[in-house]
Amino acid sequence: MDQNRQGARASYLALSIFVALWILVPSAVRRFNREAFVEFQAPALHLLGKSRELATFWEKKSRSVEEMSAAGRDLARINAALEIQINKFEDIRRENVRLREITHYNVPAEYMSVVARVATRDSSSWWQRIVIRKGRNEGIRPGAPVVFGNTVVGRVTAVHLTTSEIDLVTSPGFRCTAYLEGDDQNHIVLVNGVASNSLGTAKARVSVIPRDYFLPSGQPARVFTTGMGGVFPSRLILGYLDGGTYATQVGNFKESLLVPSRDLYNLQEVSVLVPLHQNPGEALMQGDQFQ
Amino acid sequence: MGWAWLFLLLATYPWLLGADLASDTLASSSLIFFVSGTCLVAPCRRLKRWQAVLFAASLGFLFEARRPIPDGALAFSLVAIAIFLSSNRQLIRNTSDMLRAAAIINMGACLIWFLASSYGSPSPATNLAGQLCLQLLLSGFVGTLSLIPIALTQNAVLDRLNVPQAPDTP
Repeated sequence: MDQNRQGARASYLALSIFVALWILVPSAVRRFNREAFVEFQAPALHLLGKSRELATFWEKKSRSVEEMSAAGRDLARINAALEIQINKFEDIRRENVRLREITHYNVPAEYMSVVARVATRDSSSWWQRIVIRKGRNEGIRPGAPVVFGNTVVGRVTAVHLTTSEIDLVTSPGFRCTAYLEGDDQNHIVLVNGVASNSLGTAKARVSVIPRDYFLPSGQPARVFTTGMGGVFPSRLILGYLDGGTYATQVGNFKESLLVPSRDLYNLQEVSVLVPLHQNPGEALMQGDQFQ
Repeated sequence: MGWAWLFLLLATYPWLLGADLASDTLASSSLIFFVSGTCLVAPCRRLKRWQAVLFAASLGFLFEARRPIPDGALAFSLVAIAIFLSSNRQLIRNTSDMLRAAAIINMGACLIWFLASSYGSPSPATNLAGQLCLQLLLSGFVGTLSLIPIALTQNAVLDRLNVPQAPDTP
C-alpha cells in the first residue's frame, strides 16, 4: 500500500515536472506533436468520408432508370442554358480586360479552385469549423477563402497533409469587410463571427453600418465581400442581414446580425480558392498564433 | 505486455471517432459528444500506472489535435486523472462505482476542455452558464451511457493481450 502511495506521489511529481517542461519547450515541438496526432487521425476521416459516399452511391443505385433519365434530361437542359451564359460571360470578360488595360487598373488576385468533400464538422461556443478531405498535397494554403457556388463558407485556418480545417463565417475568428445590398454609396461594413451560446443557428455580426442605411423593402438585404485585402474575391455572398439593424452603444453606427445564406452544417462539398500568388495577408496568417 | 496501451488506444479510437461523428450531427447546437473521460475508466483498473498514463496522454492529444485549445491542457488533465485512478483502484472496483466514476470524470474532463477553449478563444462570450450546464449534463449522460460498451471493447482487447484481471480487493 505504501509502495502504491509512493508510486502515485512520484507520478504526480513527474507529471508536474513534465508540464513545466512542456510550457518551456519551443512551440515548434508542440506544433509537431499536434501535427502528428492530426495525421494519425487523417486516414480514419478519409475512410469515413468514403464510406458516406459509398452509402450515397448505393442509395442512388436503388433509384429507377426512369427517375435517373429524367434527372439526366433536366441536367442536359441546365447545361445548355449554362453554355449560353458562359459565352455571354466570355464577352464580358474580354471587355473587362480591355477596360482594365485602358485604365491601368490593378489585376485582381487569380485563384486555383480545389473542390473538396467535407469530412466532419466540429463546433463549440468558441469556434465553428469543418474539416475537408484535401490538404497540403493538393496545394491548399492557410488563409485561402472557401466558397460554395458564389457563397462564402469560410477561410482555411490549418492545413495538414491530406486534410484542412476551415473556420466558418459564423466562427468568432472570422473577419472580413463587406458591402450591403441597397447601399448606393458602397460603405464598407465589418463582418465577424460571434460566440454561439444557444441552440439556435450560429450567426455573425455586421458592424459599422452607417446610420443613414435602410434595409431594402420586401427582401432581406444581401451582404457581399468587397474584394479588399486580397483574401476573398469581390461580390461573393456572405449572407443576409437578419431582421433589422440596431444602433450601437455609441450611436454613430448601426449593427445587425448576419445569417449565412446556406446551412453551413449541411454542406457536402466546398471549393477552396487558392491564390496563385501568395498575398501579404496570407503570409501573415502563417504564424504560430494562427491555428 | 508493454504495448498494451497502444493496442488499447487503437481499439478505443473507433469510439472516439463515433463520438466525433455524433458531434457532427449536433454541430449546429455547439454541443459535442464528449467521451474521452469515460474511455479512461476501464483501462485504469487493469493497466500498469505508466501504461495508463501513456494511454491517457494519447487520448488527450487525439482530442486536442483538431481543436484550438492550449496545447496539452486536456491531455495533462487526463494524465492526472489516470494517475489518480490507477493509484485508487478501489474506487472503481465494481460496475456501479465505474458508472459513477465515468460520469464524474467525463464531466470533469469536459469542464476542463470548456475552460481551456474559452481561454484560447479570440473573442469573449457572454451568457455561457446555460451552454456550460447543457454541455456538462450531456457529457455526464453520454459518459454513463457509453461506459459499458466501451469498457467491454477495452476489456476484450486486454483479455486477448493477456493483461491480468483487475483484483477484487485492490
